[in-house]
Amino acid sequence: MSNIVKKFPGVIANDGVNFEARVGEVHALLGENGAGKSTLSNVLTGLYRPDEGHIELLGNAVSFSSPRDALNCGIGMVHQHFRLVSSFTVAENVILGEDTTDVFTETTKVASRVEQLAQQYGMPVNPRASIWQLSVGEQQRVEILKVLYRGAQILILDEPTAVLTPQEADILFKTLRSMVAEGRTVIFISHKLDEVMAVSDRVTVLRNGKTVGTVDTASTSARELARMMVGRDIVFERVTRTRGGASSQSVLQVDSVNAQDDRGNQALHNVSLTVAKGEIVGVAGVSGNGQRELAEVLCGMRASTSGTFSVDGSSVDAGSVRRTLAAGIAHVPEDRLHTGLAAGHSVQDNLILKSYRRKPMSRFSVLQRKIINSNATELVDRYDVKTPDNATPVRLLSGGNVQKVLLAREFSTNPKILIAASPTRGLDVGAIESVRTRLAHVADDGVGVLLISEDLEEIFSLADRILVMYEGRITGDIPIADATRESIGLLMGGSAVSEVR
Amino acid sequence: MPRTKLHLERRLTQPRSLNWIVPLVSIVAALVLGSLVLVLTGKNPFSVYWRILDSGFASKQAIRGTLIAATPLAFTGLCAAATFRIGLVNIGGEGQLFMGAVGASFAGLALKGQPGWFIILGMMACGMICGAMFAAIVGVLKAKFNTNEIITSLMLNYVAGIILNYLIFNSTSYWRDPQSFGFPAGKPISSGSYWPTYEIVGIEIPFGFLVAIVAGLFMWFLYRSTRFGFEVGVIADSPGAAKYAGMRTRTKVVAVMAISGALAGLGGASDVGNFRHLLDAKGLQLAGYGYTGIVVAALARFSPLGAVFVAIIIGGLTNAGYALQGPDFQSGLVGTLKGLILFTAVAGEVLTRYRIRVRRADKAGAQA
Amino acid sequence: MNSNLLIIIATSAVFYGTPLFYAALGELFAERSGVLNLGVEGMMLVGGVTGAWASQHVPGTSWFVVLASIVIGACASGLLALLHAFLVITLRTNQTVAGLSITIFGGGLGLSSYFANVWNVSEKPVSHPIRILDVGGLADTPIFGPIVFNQTILTYASWVLCVLATIYLFRTRIGLHLRAVGESPQTADAMGINVTHYRYFHTVLGGLLAGVGGVYYSLTIVPTWVDGMTRGAGWIAIALVIFGFWRPGLTLAGAYVFGALQSLSLTLKARNVHINGDLLDALPFLMTIFILVVLSSAWAKKRLGAPAALGQPYEREER
Repeated sequence: MSNIVKKFPGVIANDGVNFEARVGEVHALLGENGAGKSTLSNVLTGLYRPDEGHIELLGNAVSFSSPRDALNCGIGMVHQHFRLVSSFTVAENVILGEDTTDVFTETTKVASRVEQLAQQYGMPVNPRASIWQLSVGEQQRVEILKVLYRGAQILILDEPTAVLTPQEADILFKTLRSMVAEGRTVIFISHKLDEVMAVSDRVTVLRNGKTVGTVDTASTSARELARMMVGRDIVFERVTRTRGGASSQSVLQVDSVNAQDDRGNQALHNVSLTVAKGEIVGVAGVSGNGQRELAEVLCGMRASTSGTFSVDGSSVDAGSVRRTLAAGIAHVPEDRLHTGLAAGHSVQDNLILKSYRRKPMSRFSVLQRKIINSNATELVDRYDVKTPDNATPVRLLSGGNVQKVLLAREFSTNPKILIAASPTRGLDVGAIESVRTRLAHVADDGVGVLLISEDLEEIFSLADRILVMYEGRITGDIPIADATRESIGLLMGGSAVSEVR
Repeated sequence: MPRTKLHLERRLTQPRSLNWIVPLVSIVAALVLGSLVLVLTGKNPFSVYWRILDSGFASKQAIRGTLIAATPLAFTGLCAAATFRIGLVNIGGEGQLFMGAVGASFAGLALKGQPGWFIILGMMACGMICGAMFAAIVGVLKAKFNTNEIITSLMLNYVAGIILNYLIFNSTSYWRDPQSFGFPAGKPISSGSYWPTYEIVGIEIPFGFLVAIVAGLFMWFLYRSTRFGFEVGVIADSPGAAKYAGMRTRTKVVAVMAISGALAGLGGASDVGNFRHLLDAKGLQLAGYGYTGIVVAALARFSPLGAVFVAIIIGGLTNAGYALQGPDFQSGLVGTLKGLILFTAVAGEVLTRYRIRVRRADKAGAQA
Repeated sequence: MNSNLLIIIATSAVFYGTPLFYAALGELFAERSGVLNLGVEGMMLVGGVTGAWASQHVPGTSWFVVLASIVIGACASGLLALLHAFLVITLRTNQTVAGLSITIFGGGLGLSSYFANVWNVSEKPVSHPIRILDVGGLADTPIFGPIVFNQTILTYASWVLCVLATIYLFRTRIGLHLRAVGESPQTADAMGINVTHYRYFHTVLGGLLAGVGGVYYSLTIVPTWVDGMTRGAGWIAIALVIFGFWRPGLTLAGAYVFGALQSLSLTLKARNVHINGDLLDALPFLMTIFILVVLSSAWAKKRLGAPAALGQPYEREER
């Protein structure tokens, strides 16, 4: 029996996507970041309106103008970022915003109903506990309960295991299967191949806003899914390098680094890697697998819990930005306008964001405006930054020029190591090309580059060697000559190296 | 169904002209609103405003009084402007000024017998130190425990007032004049240590006001051209970038609060040195310098030099209020106008950040 | 100290604490919705002077005039709160400065004293003060009698209000939504709650209650209008909200503590008991700072703390 038929051709994020889920199945929606999974689910839950196409529920056409409508039709979504008030209890969160005329909260009644639901699906949770007391896995259960409490028949889970430990993930899968056994439908959005293989009945793969295909899980393999996910038909243009790849001298050595993320979960597990002088090491992987934490540890913004790293042989103290700066580590962060740059400040001020403490930018603590200005003029010229003048706030520049300012500044610190995170995300074609060329140049000049990117095309066009990060570990270390898109894709999805070979 | 709605849209740039247009428009708007109040209660706004202008600015004597009133306001205005730059609002200027007055009068009394200029410097130094330390309490609590600086500085204002009362009314302290039995008052400092008043181009300017101008220039320079100022600016603009660049945020917070407190403390010192010549517990608490200073700073859009200038305007208003006090001039008018000016200044600030747009909104919300 | 003294202190604690409670309860509601309103002092004064004016000009029986004065005073204060709400919720101005402007605008030397002058309110005592309720012989009951039964109707109303407020906040759905708005407006918004409506409503409610507190001063305590007669009660009320951990019951208790302290030093002096009055005066403020520091520890923040979104304007992210 068909449950939903949904088509919306012509929307940019979802380009003529057809999707169909059946009653009583777990249907996985697979794709890389930017493939269109979130957009599709947002349409289904009423957050977005499709430009074209329609939705049918059990054969009846429906249309939603708000999330409430979708909820009333029995479609509920569990988001990646929980919508919970942390000081409230579980029961209070479950009934928050409920469409009802009840005046009183009647916590006892609610608590017992919540408990009943929780037991029914094997998700024990104390309805009177406060959210902040719960583990992330338990908080997710509350989100699921919220949706079940309102009678949802179709549950959409957006990357649910992104925040869970493997044990918690197993419990979640059991819960999903029990829900489905009762006739509900679960749509499971993920990029993790192993999980998709483990829990789903069918898989729909999206790529670049289009449906690639829908297969029965039982009759496919991780390899085939990876191929569908990343595609086979791209020919990579390698950026020309004057010096072919690495020298033998290592400039960055990372040894068994462990670190925690903001929530206190383990983000990096014994990460070790080396980067040689003049080598571009690509770090592939879907975002959220520890890349940000790795970059932050290496540039001093985050302390590691154990492990060391050293530049040119001398060990660097973790957790201090000034010391990593002094050691010669430069960092082009993912979040350009909120981390890498002070958005409201001028081009020239941002260009001295790391050098303002010393001469010649300041003398006796007084900023030397003339020198700062001429520094800016020179860098703007050299890096071809299009800006009305040096005093323009950087938030007014286009994405490509913002990135040029960042690169200009980082390059001008004469670093030994450059950590570049998603350097061409969101840029237009011309900017992408120029950024990549500069990265190649700087590597040719002897700088070791750690290129962290989700974009496989980018990695393949620049890297000499590819590392893959999955759940905080390096799961692969492959020289460019041996790497294929498919093998990297598999590793990104969590397969072990042995499966790949 | 699409429907139009008024929408506040963030501005991309702030034209420089806003810097003086907004305050000007604010004052005008406040005067218009004020005249509404006046008319509603049967008074003639034009004659009232004329008299204010007259008593505030129209004669040498008026200007002298205005500058006297403006001096502490310039300092508390600078105090409020100083912390605004880092994204905090220091409403503890009131208490910090009190403590500065305590410190300065102590110096003035203790250093008796020394040369005049030495005593004056001592008073200034003590005033600054006391104000700074008092403000640093707020800063440390904020930096270490992230306690709300608004409430802590508010509470400390009260504590400072109580300290004043204790020193003058409820004890026989060093500060209290032993000769004032019936009516407790502060011990006056020696006439040699009075702060001078200079006559420049025919206008009598108190020394304290000149110090305020220097302080304003210093703050302007500090924030515009030093490493310290640069870091403060980045911290306020983007804490993420500040962390990324390795700036130490927490010590900056304490430092900025201390500077701000020192400025207010100087205001207290100038009150003792230039005007009352003693620690006037009652007068200081009634004057409300600290809170008025925030009005000054807000109207000056929190710019240091602007604050000194705007202090003259508000000082004129205050001076006129004193001079005109009587049966035919309502005492509450000055406070009302000050409040209205703060309203309009604050509302005007919004227009610098946002632009009013008429927008068609699709009922379903954003599109994919 | 003999028990007689304690009874007197307790009675005046309740008597002086009542207006503090009204103002604090109002501010509690506003802060629970995430809005910090520093204009309480100004609102109380405006409410007080307007109530006094009404009491002298509204015709009718004593009861009617009293009721009308309370209502009119509350509405005047509520209007100021509406202004604050507009500045802070719709225009998203800095809440501290906006609240301060209300206090300067309405406070002593501000609008309240202007109105007092223009309306000639302080010329004579108010015609219909709120008197202490005569409940027959109950006031003579030992110990509790004077404390409980020697009070005005506003005090009794405040007890009822305290109970209602507690039920409202912690047992009704609207109260739950209100608390959600103050803790996490993004979450509340995502769950379909209109953050703006809740904030406006409760800020104005705060103003109405502050106005009642102000009227208490002009119609009960003195009872005549004196310029600036609240003498910082508004600021104390703001501290009181923290002191009471944003819970009505504790706020009521705190109001009585503060009320006791207010009258304590005078009472003691009259009895020749010498305790440093200034230290007593400073105590509530120092204690509030202490509580704030305690509250900022992670342990306390989760269990006892301020509404997490207090003081921050809410701007819905447009996708």
